[in-house]
Amino acid sequence: MSSTKAARIGEEVWKTRIDKVNAELVTLTYGSIVAQLCKDYEGDYMEVNKQLDKMGYNIGLRLIEDFLAKTNTGRCINFRDTAETISKIGFKVFLNITPTVTNWATDNKQFSLVFEENPLADFVELPDDGRAQNELWYSNILCGVLRGALEMVQMQVDAHFTSDVLRGNETTEMRVSLIRIIDDELPPGDD
Amino acid sequence: MVILSILILNKAGGLIYQRDFNEGLKKLSSNDYLVLAGTFHGVHAITSRISPVPGSGGLEVLESDQFRMQCFQTLTGTKFLVFAEPHQPNIDVVCRRVYELYADYVMKNPFYQIEMPIRCESFDRHLMAYIKPKQ
Amino acid sequence: MTFYFAIIGTKDNPIYETEFGTSKQGGDGHARFPDEQRPMNQFILHSALDIVEEVQWVQKELYLKTVDRFNNLLVSCFLTAGNIKFLLLHDSKAEDPIRQFFADVHEAYVKTLMNPFYEVDMRITSTVFDSKVRAAAKKYL
Repeated sequence: MSSTKAARIGEEVWKTRIDKVNAELVTLTYGSIVAQLCKDYEGDYMEVNKQLDKMGYNIGLRLIEDFLAKTNTGRCINFRDTAETISKIGFKVFLNITPTVTNWATDNKQFSLVFEENPLADFVELPDDGRAQNELWYSNILCGVLRGALEMVQMQVDAHFTSDVLRGNETTEMRVSLIRIIDDELPPGDD
Repeated sequence: MVILSILILNKAGGLIYQRDFNEGLKKLSSNDYLVLAGTFHGVHAITSRISPVPGSGGLEVLESDQFRMQCFQTLTGTKFLVFAEPHQPNIDVVCRRVYELYADYVMKNPFYQIEMPIRCESFDRHLMAYIKPKQ
Repeated sequence: MTFYFAIIGTKDNPIYETEFGTSKQGGDGHARFPDEQRPMNQFILHSALDIVEEVQWVQKELYLKTVDRFNNLLVSCFLTAGNIKFLLLHDSKAEDPIRQFFADVHEAYVKTLMNPFYEVDMRITSTVFDSKVRAAAKKYL
């Protein structure tokens, strides 16, 4: 699917078939989840990252069905197609943002998503205890969501953040790599 | 549009939901339904392999004098079987709508365990409300 | 003209304080409190808290204007909806610029509250907030 076609589908589904909710409600809810996790794990930010990823994974397992039901997209022909679908339709439909797909590896199995805006991190400043800036990936739930969602469509991927404006970097960038296509059971046939 | 019944199968071919919408249907035992689901899962897999057209999916439509069965398989491996009257048009629309209801009331219920039998009351209610007005 | 600005929390604890001078009419923006007076500033503002607590139930508005005076210094107060007090110690009587200054600081304070890692009554250590307050001071005072 070409990039412009994906963008058009994303825009159309966002406008017509999605119920909207106040963005600040989402920002504040997610913020209180992260702040509470940080308190509960007493500053073990690696553990907080892991929990955010786990929560995202559970969300992703379920979100993919909603995504497929609302957008009627067919199977992606290759990983490049998957990347375009994720950025132009997936993120558009759920967060109304379109991260840019860049930095393709030569074997076409890894790419980066660069986020110009991140509604989860509006108004956030990481705590000043010296460690949060180096250890906490604030939006780590998104990595889990991608991992869970793609696993349900037979792709095992690894997703992790490589930079974050909250940490003082210039951009917020997530690296997604395809580990393998899951062929254990009969894959659904191509439509 | 007369829908006779709906079955939902999980990725492994196990039956996770079964509902009749027409009183005239003969009731099978719950074991029979499980066997039916498992058989269909196997048949679906076989048909996708023996198809003369390369790269095709499994069995999609089965039509007889008494009924028409349509199978809608999602990219995640879940199968929706819709049984309706013969020569019924537009079952695709029904399948799509049932999939949307499934994505909403079953998947978004955080207490529903994936691949387990569906025991979501709101899914039942909305499904009935969608199917029944059409009878 | 010099100013001393402090934010007091719900438990009468200071959350933020700073001092600056006027940038208008040839001022260079630096505070010019006489040295003996510096420690007194905090006391003056805190003693004004009693008066603020009396006045706040009488007045309908959040901007309480000038609530107290000490020698030649005036104390003005702005109350937020969460009972956080913005107190300004100043020696001139310009109400409108002070009101606008408080409005800007209020906006910056609300943004600080939106940060999930900030709890009400915590000290504000963010440099972003600090620069916003100084910019507002430069603009209006």
